[in-house]
Amino acid sequence: MKKSIFSVLFIVSAFMLNSCYPGGPDYVEDMDVVLTKHNAEYNFASKGTYAIPDKIVKITGNLVEGETPEFVPDVTGKQILARIESNMTAYGWQKVDISANPDLLLAPASWETTTIVYWYDYWYYWWGGYYPMWGWGGYYPPVYYDSYTTGTLLMTLIDKNEVGANGNPVTQWTGAINGIMTGSYNATRMNTSIDKAFAASPYLKTN
Amino acid sequence: MKKILILFAFAVISFSAFSQSTLFSFQYSMGFGAGNMHDFIKPASFRGFTIDYRNLVTENIGLGFDMGWNVFYDEMPDANYEYQNVTYSGKQWRYSNEFPILGAMDYYFTKSGDIFPYAGLGVGTMYSLRNTDVGTYRFESDAWHFALRPEIGVVLDMGGGSGFNIVGKYYHGFAAGDLPSQGYFTINVGFVFVN
Repeated sequence: MKKSIFSVLFIVSAFMLNSCYPGGPDYVEDMDVVLTKHNAEYNFASKGTYAIPDKIVKITGNLVEGETPEFVPDVTGKQILARIESNMTAYGWQKVDISANPDLLLAPASWETTTIVYWYDYWYYWWGGYYPMWGWGGYYPPVYYDSYTTGTLLMTLIDKNEVGANGNPVTQWTGAINGIMTGSYNATRMNTSIDKAFAASPYLKTN
Repeated sequence: MKKILILFAFAVISFSAFSQSTLFSFQYSMGFGAGNMHDFIKPASFRGFTIDYRNLVTENIGLGFDMGWNVFYDEMPDANYEYQNVTYSGKQWRYSNEFPILGAMDYYFTKSGDIFPYAGLGVGTMYSLRNTDVGTYRFESDAWHFALRPEIGVVLDMGGGSGFNIVGKYYHGFAAGDLPSQGYFTINVGFVFVN
């Protein structure tokens, strides 16, 4: 009798505790993150002009030398650029053409990463007799898979006069935005994240 | 330290082999972080359990073991978190799982009515698994701590070999692995079965 009571206690507790395990994010935008990094010794306030391209380059990782890179489609790329520019203007920066010798270059880039998570039970014939509780409720062979794609927007501010040991210009400020991509472009999420990157970087102010 | 643990385990097993009665308790456990754990996660934990087993080697002394689980959780608000010249903006989900496994000795004071007060000490290990979820990323650190656990409690005898108990415990895991020392209090309520 006591053994039965113990068994019931264990099973009920296991289910109760499992179902009560604290949860995480409720909405996809909860997982949007913004990271900024800057060179603390660089005096942004002493600068005033910047240039920015009219497209956002898409990093695919398979660009062959000499080829033109892919770009984010204009329909979304222009909105993103407009938001970046409005934040720069609010901080006192003046946008100029790259031929006008700007103090800084603002280089936007983006990439996507797809992650696949899966669970398969093709080994059921091997473990089925020993662990029959695995794969409850599924048909044979049960396969579960899911995937999600994250998008990253990278904004970098470069001073062409500050060159590193390898001869390349050193990035003075980086703003990175990362989030799970949904079926359609969500301007509110993107704008909020861009605004956050600048809000977290008050040292960029020139006014 | 290993020698102490081995001696303690040997003593528990040896005395248990000659015991006359046993006490088994299954408890619901509420946890309250202290020190570094409280700095990491402030809210109390209402998810946890403890299993206590004691052999009464004399009328007043019980030897046995404790094991259990408490999970602490906090959802940090959407805010800026700064580290040197890097700023992270967004939400965080923090988890701290604690799994103590301890040899234990309790002293049972003289019975007063249906109530047995007792106090004891546990020595053993505590596994801590700490996760910080940020966006789609998880930062994980863990440690096997050397752990001490004082406790005080009461058993309410309901007759017929069963009862209830209320016990307060403090777990202290010394710095180990990826983590500094971890400590937390618990208040447990549970069923007791006496054989």
